[in-house]
Amino acid sequence: MNKSKTVKRLTVRRFVILALLILITIGLWHIGLLDVAQWSLAAGRLREFSCGLFPPQLNSLPTLAGAMIETVEIAFLGTMLGFFAALPIAFLASTIFSGTAVAYAVRLMIGAVRTVPSILWGIIFVVAFGLGPAAGTIGVAFYTLGYLGKLYYEVFEGVDAEVLEAVRGVGCSRLQLMLYAVLPESANAILSQLLFMFEYNIRASAIMGFVGAGGIGYYLLGYVQMLQYRNLLTALLLTFVVVMAVDCLSRKLRTAILPANPITS
Amino acid sequence: MLKTAGLDTHAANLYNPCLIARDVWFSYDGHTHILKGINLMVERGIMTMILGRSGSGKTTLLRLLKGLLHPQKGSVEVRFSAAGRIPDRIIAYVPQHLGLVRNLTAVENVLIGCLSSIGTIRSILRAFPKTAIEEAQEILRELGLSHKMDEPVSALSGGQRQRVAIARALMLKPEMILADEFVSQLDPVTTREMFVIMHRFTKRGVGFLMTTHETDLVADYADRIVIMKEGVITYEGQQGGLSEPEMIELLG
Repeated sequence: MNKSKTVKRLTVRRFVILALLILITIGLWHIGLLDVAQWSLAAGRLREFSCGLFPPQLNSLPTLAGAMIETVEIAFLGTMLGFFAALPIAFLASTIFSGTAVAYAVRLMIGAVRTVPSILWGIIFVVAFGLGPAAGTIGVAFYTLGYLGKLYYEVFEGVDAEVLEAVRGVGCSRLQLMLYAVLPESANAILSQLLFMFEYNIRASAIMGFVGAGGIGYYLLGYVQMLQYRNLLTALLLTFVVVMAVDCLSRKLRTAILPANPITS
Repeated sequence: MLKTAGLDTHAANLYNPCLIARDVWFSYDGHTHILKGINLMVERGIMTMILGRSGSGKTTLLRLLKGLLHPQKGSVEVRFSAAGRIPDRIIAYVPQHLGLVRNLTAVENVLIGCLSSIGTIRSILRAFPKTAIEEAQEILRELGLSHKMDEPVSALSGGQRQRVAIARALMLKPEMILADEFVSQLDPVTTREMFVIMHRFTKRGVGFLMTTHETDLVADYADRIVIMKEGVITYEGQQGGLSEPEMIELLG
């Protein structure tokens, strides 16, 4: 009885793997990646392209540095605006603060905001604010709001029920409960996720310029379109260095601020 | 006036009780009754202990007395010693794991006790009245925590945390403190210290109602003993009325 069960499970697993392989093959064929001629053509073009990249054109560095600073600005301001909007909205989305109906309505709204990627928010706000970093900043802020809003209300819901009960027991208001029990209990998670968000937003801001919403993306796209590959390499290297630097900085910050081991009660 | 069942109003007036439970029935799911007709008077100025095994309903009773749960049948009455007091502040509740906010300091946790008396703007700005801060510091000093006031609660020892929890309760100027399995995690020496502290406050008129499953604790420190078994009170009396073996027998 037991043995046949094992055999059955193995057969099912084999079938699933086979089905997956067939599905992948059909997919690859459908989008034209099974064509050998196409691959050799692509390899040739890639070789040509990478030869054109070197050496990097350093004349464009001053211009690019300015654009890169703008990118960091967009990421920082967008993250901050999104963060300060996400906190009160996450309050509203938590059942500790709101009634169930309000909480779920706000959650639905947060979900809707999150389904739109930041680059699309960029396009929307280029229409509203015109070309430039203002559109990018607001775009990043909206995506951040959707993302942190969800993470934060989930953290809030996880706060120890006994702490809530004890603080509620002194007869304080809901807002006081959020400020003096829920926020401090969630502080570590809030900070950690904020830093992750900033790292993510640096990358998102780097491509905001594709849609004219400011920063280095404008040059990245422009150099590709004008076949200025040596300038493109400079821009790519600069982006790479800055992204790595921000990641490193935020990792350092996280370990400095947050306790190494979780606090036990 | 509330209907009395098993208790007459005259007796209630005689003892000056702070909390009166009358024929309290409670069930979480609507079928299994956790409490089956509890009648209890809890007085100010003494240490009352509810002794019972786990599952006897003692925590549920405590939560009902605080008003965190509501009885399906029967009533809980809070007797005010003076008019105009907020019910939430007359009865303080210390949950089993204390419910302290771990990232806040000891003094901040104590200040939570005065939140209901400060306004919204002040609480957003964290601008506590100077008198409240001094009061919180004074309470912590009295409980022997003057050197730990500005440390986060997560950095304190078990005994120190229990003191912070008591300090937060005292900040309400309560007439009754309900504590669930309060000293159950502490060593005997620290337990004794905690009871010396609590005794100081019962002398000033604060009542303590504490649940426990440890008979030696009851024998050593209770002024009044209540024994619960399967949702009913099987014994109620003054300290000295029962020996430890008798308690164990009543616990079942």
